[in-house]
Amino acid sequence: MTINAPNTPETQSLPLGPYPRIVTHAFDVPNIDQLEVYRAHGGYEALAKALRDFQPEALAEEVKASGLRGRGGAGFATGVKWGFLPKESARPRYLCVNADESEPGTFKDRMIMEVSPHQVVEGTILAAYATRVRHAFIYIRGELPRAYQQVERAVREAYEAGLLGKNILGSGYDLEITVHPGAGAYICGEESALLESLEGKRGYPRLKPPFPALVGLYGGPTVINNLETVASLPAIVRLGAATYAQYGTEKSKGTRVYCLSGHVERPGNYELPLGTPLRTLIEDFGGGVWQGKKLKAIIPGGSSTNFLTPDQIDTPLDFESILAAGSMLGSAGVVVLDEDTCIVGAVLRMTEFYRDESCGKCTPCREGTYWLVQLLERLEEGHGKESDIDLLNDICDNIAGKSFCPLGDAATSSIVSSIRLWRDEYIHHVRAHACLVGPGANRKRDAAAV
Amino acid sequence: MISDEVKAQMRAIAARYPQPRSAMLPCLHLAQQTEGYITPEGAQAVAQAVGARVDEVESVVSFYSMYTTKPLGAQVIKVCTSVSCYLRGSDALLARLEERLGVKKGQTASDGRFTLDMIECLAACGMAPVLQVNGEFVENVTPERADALLDRLERGEGVGDMGSRWRLTEQGGFTTAGSTTSASGDSGEPAKENS
Amino acid sequence: MAEQQELVNLTIDGRPVRAPKGAVIWAAAQQLGIEVPIYCYHPRMDPLGACRMCFVEVKGMPKLATACTTTVSEGMEVWTDTPKVKKGRQGTLEFLLINHPLDCPICDKGGECDLQDFTLRHGPGDSRFDVRKRHFPKPIPVSENILLDRERCIACQRCVRFCQDVAMEDGLVMKERGFKTEVGVEENAPFDSIFSGNVVEMCPVGALTAKNYRFVTRPWELRRTATVCGNCAVGCNVRLDVRVNKALRQYSRPNDAVDDGWLCDRGRWELDTLNSSKRLTTPLLRKNGELVPVSWDEALGVVASTLRQVISTHGAQALGGIGSTHTTNEESYLFQKLLRSLGTNNIDHYHGVFSQTGSDGVPWVWTGSLAGLEKASHIALLGADAYHRQPVLDLLIRKAIRKGAQVYVVTPEPNRLDRLATGAIRYAARQTGAVARALLGVTLAEGLTRGDYATAHAEELADWRKANGSVEDAARAAEVESEALRALAREIAGAQGAVILYDEMATREPTGATLAADTLMLAQLTDNIGRPGAGVGPLFEDNNSLGARDMGLLPDTLPGYQPVANEASRQALGAAWGAQLSSETGRDYDVMLSGVRALFVLGADPARHATPEQLARLEKLDALIVQDLFLTETAKRATVVLPGLSYGEKDGTFTNLDRRIQVVRKGMTELPGARADWEILTTLARMLGLAWAYLSPADILREIGRVAPIYAGVTRRALGETGLQWPLRAGEIGADGRKIIVGSETVTWPLAETAQAESDAGVAVAASGEE
Repeated sequence: MTINAPNTPETQSLPLGPYPRIVTHAFDVPNIDQLEVYRAHGGYEALAKALRDFQPEALAEEVKASGLRGRGGAGFATGVKWGFLPKESARPRYLCVNADESEPGTFKDRMIMEVSPHQVVEGTILAAYATRVRHAFIYIRGELPRAYQQVERAVREAYEAGLLGKNILGSGYDLEITVHPGAGAYICGEESALLESLEGKRGYPRLKPPFPALVGLYGGPTVINNLETVASLPAIVRLGAATYAQYGTEKSKGTRVYCLSGHVERPGNYELPLGTPLRTLIEDFGGGVWQGKKLKAIIPGGSSTNFLTPDQIDTPLDFESILAAGSMLGSAGVVVLDEDTCIVGAVLRMTEFYRDESCGKCTPCREGTYWLVQLLERLEEGHGKESDIDLLNDICDNIAGKSFCPLGDAATSSIVSSIRLWRDEYIHHVRAHACLVGPGANRKRDAAAV
Repeated sequence: MISDEVKAQMRAIAARYPQPRSAMLPCLHLAQQTEGYITPEGAQAVAQAVGARVDEVESVVSFYSMYTTKPLGAQVIKVCTSVSCYLRGSDALLARLEERLGVKKGQTASDGRFTLDMIECLAACGMAPVLQVNGEFVENVTPERADALLDRLERGEGVGDMGSRWRLTEQGGFTTAGSTTSASGDSGEPAKENS
Repeated sequence: MAEQQELVNLTIDGRPVRAPKGAVIWAAAQQLGIEVPIYCYHPRMDPLGACRMCFVEVKGMPKLATACTTTVSEGMEVWTDTPKVKKGRQGTLEFLLINHPLDCPICDKGGECDLQDFTLRHGPGDSRFDVRKRHFPKPIPVSENILLDRERCIACQRCVRFCQDVAMEDGLVMKERGFKTEVGVEENAPFDSIFSGNVVEMCPVGALTAKNYRFVTRPWELRRTATVCGNCAVGCNVRLDVRVNKALRQYSRPNDAVDDGWLCDRGRWELDTLNSSKRLTTPLLRKNGELVPVSWDEALGVVASTLRQVISTHGAQALGGIGSTHTTNEESYLFQKLLRSLGTNNIDHYHGVFSQTGSDGVPWVWTGSLAGLEKASHIALLGADAYHRQPVLDLLIRKAIRKGAQVYVVTPEPNRLDRLATGAIRYAARQTGAVARALLGVTLAEGLTRGDYATAHAEELADWRKANGSVEDAARAAEVESEALRALAREIAGAQGAVILYDEMATREPTGATLAADTLMLAQLTDNIGRPGAGVGPLFEDNNSLGARDMGLLPDTLPGYQPVANEASRQALGAAWGAQLSSETGRDYDVMLSGVRALFVLGADPARHATPEQLARLEKLDALIVQDLFLTETAKRATVVLPGLSYGEKDGTFTNLDRRIQVVRKGMTELPGARADWEILTTLARMLGLAWAYLSPADILREIGRVAPIYAGVTRRALGETGLQWPLRAGEIGADGRKIIVGSETVTWPLAETAQAESDAGVAVAASGEE
């Protein structure tokens, strides 16, 4: 490893060193996707330990103590979320693992599934055991056939090895896991839309309340956890909550797999403790902005989160710090934009995504994203009006907080934050009929074409 | 045609769920695999297997972007155009492919060999730009690699070792970048760089 | 009787209101008359929360709340008119309008369009949208009767939810997603539903329009009358929309006790009886073998003299009357009053076979109610095709299915409900009675009885078993799988509440004579009677089939099921009428068709059901007086034809299949030349020397209320907007007989006199100040 960890007493005294790979623990081991290899590297030990040493409630307490927070985007404390399930229920309760990874800029769950599918299975069993669930589903994004095959095979192997099904490892605990493929719809990453989709319907988000913890899949109490969340559980159980909780910050504990993409020298997935500064990720691990260019903007948590600017590069990557900096840690998809990026073009592209992925259920998101894209298109093409800029903001105001689900809000983040930060670029598109930076800057649009 | 065997497979999938309707998406995938696209017959078979009405099935089909009700080319190339790929040249890649294949995105070549389309973020942003050939990932698709890929595909060789493989980088991160040189086999395990 | 509801206190715009716990803010605002605009929300369907139109501010909630999904809570403070709310609603309307074509001048919805209305009241005034609208070819047919204009659609999903959740059939679905979202039908699942028109009515914009209504009128040209549909026995409450004396459509007028706010396409669009150019517009008199137009004076003069002559020559028993299942209660009542006043009980109508009719004065009716269906755990349909005969009842059965009821469709032919049914049992045509017998046989043979009925009626049951063969025999006769029937009998016996319904006309089948009695006994034996969610009875087909019975269009029964044989009843009625009533039971329908000299037919067409001999006989009658809307097969053979009026052109009441008496109101001008049946009968009675002085149907109804016990105290005013179900008073009355659900309580037939008197008093108080 070439990264020098900060040489402080705190980091040097950490049990697993400053930058341990906890979730991606044995990802470099050849054939770790095979059951016997996975077991040879400590696989399913956590499961055995949990079934042997923990009652379900105690396991949930252990996870609570680890400080693990949901890795899907909202960052809700996992153990607390489990606690929302009613103690007793007339209908069966379910666990759904959300592996519908599709937030632009995010690619960690796919890696975990492709590389270490048994870890996914083990984590799922642990989560199910802690929540007294007898049937769990792993909802895998349809466009990831390899991930699906890997997890599906791992589940099959686990059944054959007595790690799934009746009386797991002689504990008396029974669990079924069904691996379920999606079919192309970003909205199904929203937990209630995921449930609709899993019930074989169009992926429209559901009305809340009732929340899934009370009325979820097939009307039963349901917990939905992100795949990385679940994949973190074996290590937490194996290492102990206390060890895990030594990493990260006071409120954002443990490590996260940061997905670094965009204009950097070495994009990739980097598992780092929460609270690691953006600079460390981008410059030390990612090798800095590519081609020796200057940094223009950072999207810290997938395309649904507000832009950060170069002066914020020392912001620690944890929920609270990123929030304080005016954005969200989201799915930890860190996208780097270099100085030659036309912000209007990039925002247009991100907005097109939300327009195409809006489910169409609610008016503001369905109609609003359609309108936003048209306005951004005409601005980007140099045919816009100056009043379009404020209109974009007002349309966003009529979408954000007024849509049925968070997808509408997400669609507005890049627009509102980019207008705030780079209004001059928007104005330049109107006045000069061209981009301020990048290839479009030399390509003066024909104003007469308006 | 949806054979009795495929219908039996659909029923078997339905049996995995507490409610058969949940098997809608996997059964539709199976129907599409079997016939190349969702035919009225396929929709009917799925409706029967999962206990839904045909109109419900078809409504679901049109919601999800992976299903098609029209036949596609033998090789379906889908280029990711979302933000991370966009920043690393996906539009140029798409243009290159359009030029080479002589079709626009969303179209199928007249000889039926290729369909070219765009797709939303494929969860491969660290190896942008990316595309899929019949669901198989090819990453870091520079224009040169695009040409090499099309050459292979045109020779009927498939994606082969241009497909993506995870590996650990020197920096302790994971990527599939530069995976053409990876020696790993067909499994998903990563190979160590310079090991 | 309404169940006790917990109420919570809240304020809306500073005004206090008490609303039921669980109600949404929108409904509470309605209570105060505060308009909260809605598109996707529909009070008859689950909230969706999609259109984002009904924003309100709720104190303590940081974001705007949707009034259609947020339930009220104690102490809640709601504001519907703040700047934040206004901006939210304006934003939504601006969004809805960006892709809307604004083709209001040529849109049939214009004038009754929620998008228009709400834009006016809550909208931004103008749009900032200056880019490309979506365009679609317009319009496209989505069914035989309905066209879809996708440009106008605002994707509220009302129509789709109706098809999918309420009708539960192939129909409109959502297609594509996001900004490409559209409503449509799938090629292989045509929208072929008798309920399709509801989607047109629910559509808040002009996206779905009815083919037969397009470009015919503007809504403000319509004369709208609240009335009751005359198309079937359900009696859905409707608003009759008439333009320049042409009935264009009926819209629903929600009545929870009857229709749940829905209407079938027949009721909505089949208004031929009101509009047809084939309607009779002048009396006809047979002269030289030909029916020729004559004046009313001449026609009525001939009728009066003919009747007088037949009676004086051959006696009153030579006269007979066949009444109608379509005319109002008032008219049916007058018809039998006229004949009985003339001295004959030869009165009947075309109806089912109910073995005990008249002998004990017990009415054969469904002992439950439409609204109670959803409480049933099991519903068994015997020989009944509700989808085609009582469509909205079928829709209510679907609602019961959604609430968990298991439905068994026991019919000779495949049925639209089969797909949703727990069991679909087939048998040979015209064998419904044998099926019922087999069901009862299984119940007895397997001892599937509950309650004390079996012990109390041991002897009767033993007789029944002796008289009837084995279950297997009955099943063989009906060509039905006896195992399926056994399973059904067990389900009925174990049901939390089973409703057993059969088609009235199935009693006329060869094996049908005991159908009514056997199913009743089945319900009694299994304790499926006399409580909510349970019951048994016939499904009548016509809009006033039951009213005809109630009014005494029966040879052995006076109005209100008083037996002709009961002297006290006869005396009382005779005194009220100032007439001497015959004690002789009259001749029934079939006998009359072959055994009288003069036949008076009102609103019926016996020639349609008649045997060749009867038909020949009809042509040889001394007199055949027919009063009808059309020149029916019977009328063609008449000596005199008197043109009547449809339900759209007169006032009155109908009684539906669950005993609900409902007000019918005149919605259009009388067809020139025709007269209301009650007017014709009144004129005729006076010509015959009877002292009838009715000025309106209300007068007649008041009299019915006085003389027919089950209608005691019924007046137009008491009936109000939603009607009343007889018997009007709940309570355990009498010892032995049939239990009937009234509200949530049970009454047992016959009503004892004392209780009835109280009932009179009670209703009379309610009705004081009658018009």
